[in-house]
Amino acid sequence: MKPLSLITLCCLLAACSHSPEPILYGKDACTHCKMTIMDKRFATEVISVKGKIYKFDAVECMAGFLRENPAVANDPESSLLVNDFGHPGTFSDARKAWYLHDASLASPMGGNLAAFINRRAAEAAQQDSTAIVSDWPGFLKQNR
Amino acid sequence: MRTLLLMFSGLLLPLILAARTILVAPGTPVSSLRQAVMLSQNGDTIRVKKGVYISLNTLIDKSLTILGEGQPVLDARFREEVLTITASHVKLDGFTVVNTKTGSMRDFAAIRLSNVEQVTISNNILRNNFFGIYLSNCRFIKVLNNRITGSNDIENSGNGIHLWKCKEVLIRGNYVTKHRDGIYFEFAKKCLIENNLSEKNIRYGLHFMFSDDDTYRHNTFKNNGSGVSVMYTRRIAMLDNTFIENWGSTIYGVLLKEITDARIEGNRFIRNTTGIYMENSDRITIKHNDFISNGWAMRVLASCSKNNFTQNNYKGNSFDVTTNGTLKEIYFNDNYWDKYEGYDLNRDGTGDIPYRPISLYAQIIEQNPQSVMLMRSFIVNLIDKVERAIPSVTPESVKDEKPRMKPWKR
Repeated sequence: MKPLSLITLCCLLAACSHSPEPILYGKDACTHCKMTIMDKRFATEVISVKGKIYKFDAVECMAGFLRENPAVANDPESSLLVNDFGHPGTFSDARKAWYLHDASLASPMGGNLAAFINRRAAEAAQQDSTAIVSDWPGFLKQNR
Repeated sequence: MRTLLLMFSGLLLPLILAARTILVAPGTPVSSLRQAVMLSQNGDTIRVKKGVYISLNTLIDKSLTILGEGQPVLDARFREEVLTITASHVKLDGFTVVNTKTGSMRDFAAIRLSNVEQVTISNNILRNNFFGIYLSNCRFIKVLNNRITGSNDIENSGNGIHLWKCKEVLIRGNYVTKHRDGIYFEFAKKCLIENNLSEKNIRYGLHFMFSDDDTYRHNTFKNNGSGVSVMYTRRIAMLDNTFIENWGSTIYGVLLKEITDARIEGNRFIRNTTGIYMENSDRITIKHNDFISNGWAMRVLASCSKNNFTQNNYKGNSFDVTTNGTLKEIYFNDNYWDKYEGYDLNRDGTGDIPYRPISLYAQIIEQNPQSVMLMRSFIVNLIDKVERAIPSVTPESVKDEKPRMKPWKR
């Protein structure tokens, strides 16, 4: 009986961990704009301190959500995750990522935005003369 | 006057006579479309005989009429785009266009139109392409009677017909399937979409983003991943379309988000999870539609206002209307509701007591989604009946003062 309850307890505790949930492309809908998430390159995820998971189809949707939910945005414990535009598939910390705003980027919600893990990759992906690369605080300032 | 006319015809005649026809056929001196385009001048006709031609982004930069005979195949072998049209006054008719490259950084398209006017793309068959027909910055284009089949690959599929910054485009009689969105509009204005069939696309049958003053009518949207989505647009007319079998948890016949002044008239919503989902949408007229056998006929969020629902038929839906808060300035009038149990003593065809389309059970489900398991149970019927007799919880403002006794005939 005891080992069984221990296993159950472990399982329950595991269920409480705040690890990111993979996005089901073509199935999951964006929390902010209700659109079905299709494009890996732009998809993002937010996990609140309480473990609630929000999925977004675009960086601009995550920005919109954080604008409307300052409690989640300002909490350093909440995890904000983005896909690297050049190498989508694994999440990385949005607060350490670089953001390219470039008119040639067809992001799902028309924000012309993409996230990159390193600055050099973001700069290399620039196409338009008016493109801007910014870090997380700069990105938040632009999308306030 | 006459001399002027003579002079004119004298000038024009050689031009007309000079318009030549160039034949392309396998095994002849002119064996590719690219060669033919190089040999041609503005106004010429190119006839391509039946066969398979490799076409790695053939550039059409002259005003040409290009006709396929026996549906010749233009194949990019997954290495490039197939055709790019950069000249105005082009007609492309009767080809089979297949196998573009797929890729994450660029939107490879089977037929790309860039900065052109007066181009017609008709009677082509497109198969296995990343994007099908891609229009960017174009005006006065016709896309007619094409059959467009994508790869059905969730991660690597683009849109069947894709418009970006276009004006006055006619999209008629096309069949689009297995793409991301069947038809996609971004910044496309004053366009007409009619008599198309869009089915089994991965995301939406039709998708509007920031596109004003468009009309879509007599189209059928069937069994698409998430139905049709109209977002961030103004003055869209949605007339006489059929939305059928769009099933699933976040799937709608039509998803309306932040749109204003739309007309939704004469449409049929059949067997969808949700017929119409509305969020932040104002001044919308919903008239003469049939909602038949949907889970939710309409889900209207509290962020919507000044909407009119008149002369619709609601038949066999699990829920007629649901909402998530207090609805303001939502007007129901003259609708037929199969759940209406009132009477018509003066026999004028409308019921004498109002109908409240939001049932108490719908309100309970809103607060507590798990209670859906009680659906169609005795207790649910009982509380709904009590609520209808003595309304206390359902919103007072949402009611049809003149419910029809008999369905509207169309």
